[in-house]
Amino acid sequence: MTYSRRKALQEFGILLAGSPLLRADRTPPLDELVNLFEVESVARSKLAPAVYEHIAAGVGAGTTVRRNREAFDRITFRPRMLVDVREMDISLELFGQRWDAPILVGPTADHRIVHPDGEAATAKGAAAAKTLMVVSSRPSVPIQQIASVTKGPLWFQLDTEGDSNAMKQRVRGALDAGCKAICLTAGAPYEARPSWPPSAKTITKLTWTAIQQIREWSGVPVLIKGVLSPEEAQMCVEKGTQGIIVSNHGGRYVDGAPATIDVLPRIVDAVAGRVPVLIDGGFRRGTDILKALALGAKGVLLGRPPLWGLAAFGAEGVQKVLEMLQTELALAMGLSGKPDLAAVDRSLVKIHRR
Amino acid sequence: MTRLFLETHSRFVLQCPAVETMNASFTRRAAFSRLGAFLAASPLLRPQQAPPAFGDRFPALDEIGSVLDFERVARAKITQTAYDYIVGGVDGEFTLRRNRQAFDWATLVPRAVADAGSIDFSTEILGQKLDSPILIAPTAAHEQLHPQGELATHQGATEAKTLMVVSSNASYPIDKIAAAAKGPLWFQLYARETPEGTRERVERAQEAGCRAVCFTVDVQYHSHRERLLHGRHLSMPVPGMTRTRSRRGPEPPPPRYRLSAQTPGISWTTIKELRAYTIVPLLLKGILTAEDAAMAIELGADGIVVSNHGGRYLDYAPATFEVLPEIADAVRGRIPVLMDGGVRRGTDVLKALALGARGVLVGRAPLWGLGAFGAVGVQRVLEMLQAELALAMADTGRQNIASIDRTAVSVEFP
Repeated sequence: MTYSRRKALQEFGILLAGSPLLRADRTPPLDELVNLFEVESVARSKLAPAVYEHIAAGVGAGTTVRRNREAFDRITFRPRMLVDVREMDISLELFGQRWDAPILVGPTADHRIVHPDGEAATAKGAAAAKTLMVVSSRPSVPIQQIASVTKGPLWFQLDTEGDSNAMKQRVRGALDAGCKAICLTAGAPYEARPSWPPSAKTITKLTWTAIQQIREWSGVPVLIKGVLSPEEAQMCVEKGTQGIIVSNHGGRYVDGAPATIDVLPRIVDAVAGRVPVLIDGGFRRGTDILKALALGAKGVLLGRPPLWGLAAFGAEGVQKVLEMLQTELALAMGLSGKPDLAAVDRSLVKIHRR
Repeated sequence: MTRLFLETHSRFVLQCPAVETMNASFTRRAAFSRLGAFLAASPLLRPQQAPPAFGDRFPALDEIGSVLDFERVARAKITQTAYDYIVGGVDGEFTLRRNRQAFDWATLVPRAVADAGSIDFSTEILGQKLDSPILIAPTAAHEQLHPQGELATHQGATEAKTLMVVSSNASYPIDKIAAAAKGPLWFQLYARETPEGTRERVERAQEAGCRAVCFTVDVQYHSHRERLLHGRHLSMPVPGMTRTRSRRGPEPPPPRYRLSAQTPGISWTTIKELRAYTIVPLLLKGILTAEDAAMAIELGADGIVVSNHGGRYLDYAPATFEVLPEIADAVRGRIPVLMDGGVRRGTDVLKALALGARGVLVGRAPLWGLGAFGAVGVQRVLEMLQAELALAMADTGRQNIASIDRTAVSVEFP
């Protein structure tokens, strides 16, 4: 058989074209991704390693950020069969409004480090997924600009740095931009992920009186974010807070703090239904969210996942992340025989020792 | 000083055998002879090679030592899609793994047995005498594994004196399967689009000689089988499936969430209807809570199969073995409780029986036997499990199935 040089070169070309090394830069299209972990992989491939690390890592040895995830593996379901689940409804009633799903975009800083449009793109994606977004206290895009690109609902996270006038200014700006509630961050006396030597931030002494004043003056609900014990929760309620967010700030403030899902049940018991309890920390699956709801949370906030969506595919990526979770939650509820949130209660889960 | 060193050194050197040899006369013949011996010892020479490692070739049927070894052989013989379809669970496959892991939370309590030579593992379930408490669970589309599909599975089951539960989504129709062999059959039922359709299925199964109906109560919606989702742009439809699942992209989304319905409309009312026209015993497959077990009894079910659909239904559903005590306690022996999920060893069977199961079903294990060696593979899988069960019974001092109780195991659930 004659085998010309031409044919040999042709075949060699085919061999090279088939090489996996030539496809190394292929990013899977958005609709091929099947879960949040895959979105994170795409984000990781697109971000500079330092940026990815900055977002992904927790403080210290990363014990708490890991614990947040691992704790979900100690909870299994007790699903009920033969309940008609043709009509699924995962909407939530909160502060007099109906939300499409008990999932919120939590406050995270500096979205511009993962995408040129920053929080504006995040807000766009959140609105497209009919999801409420909590804007962080230091957005990389001014809050007025965020509010202008989305008709979606917004809340505002307020930290207690600086003097009280500065705080008031920020709250004023947020309310003017249409924010419907304020989340006060508690439990963060130091810079997240400190350098050496650690320097305390200048914290305005956030007295309960001050919280009361913000409430009265702003007229919107005030929630405290960062509660990790029933005692703190009890105090929050007694002092007039209108909501609690169980949070260890994604393991970025205190390493060694408990997983949020582990402390949730006792906090819910202490609050005894007087105010809504929300939670964040490691939510990546619809089943994670369903466990929190079963243990008494009204809704969950997401920290890193929307950022991964943003980094991977911009506003569309944020939307996809949220819709994936909404679908997974609805599916988990349908399979457990819970057609709506009212049907979800503690009998749905079992907590194991290990 | 130098002299001392030399003395010491030379003494050491002289004692070293190689040096001794070197000092003796060394002919060319000896040198070649040694070189030949050296080469002959080389691991690169075929006679020196160890028997082929397991990974180099696939074992023949008689070389297989345990049920766990059939999977590799079957995997080599079937398509990637078929393998992914069968092996996979849903989401991160937590429950799939937990089903196997749960058996490790129980150990056997050793006891002497009177006569190890005559262990009797026959039993009786729902008035039917069975040669063993191990049944073949209903699984779809056996044609993926072997051209004779369920016909071959039934033949293998019959040879192993095992009852087979035929799936609603079998590749072959129930009457053909029943004609292929003589062993006892049950029928697994999914609710059809209409109540009349469901009834027609039951009647057809009863006419074909099925001695019981297992109604599946889980998988109200299609779960996310991620192994298949990854392949959906590449894979062919699964051959032999009576209902083709679309793999060309997501199914058209229903109103709000992209949920794909399977049987979301079934309820306890459905059970009442089924009970009214089903002549043979009716079991509910997919019960995982004491509450549902109690409801099943109240509505007249004749039996329960504790099942999480092989980890293919809801991820983070409990392992079936770990909820068996709760359900057995709720049932209090009024109806038989069977279980499936992760059974691969005779000891798994014994543990399940000890915690209150009347029998166990195996899903994937006989499928791998079928894919690996056809009907005789199915037979071998079941016979291995039976033999291991007999061994486990002998180890725990149980002469027969009735004598297996809670004292045969020591359990510590997390």
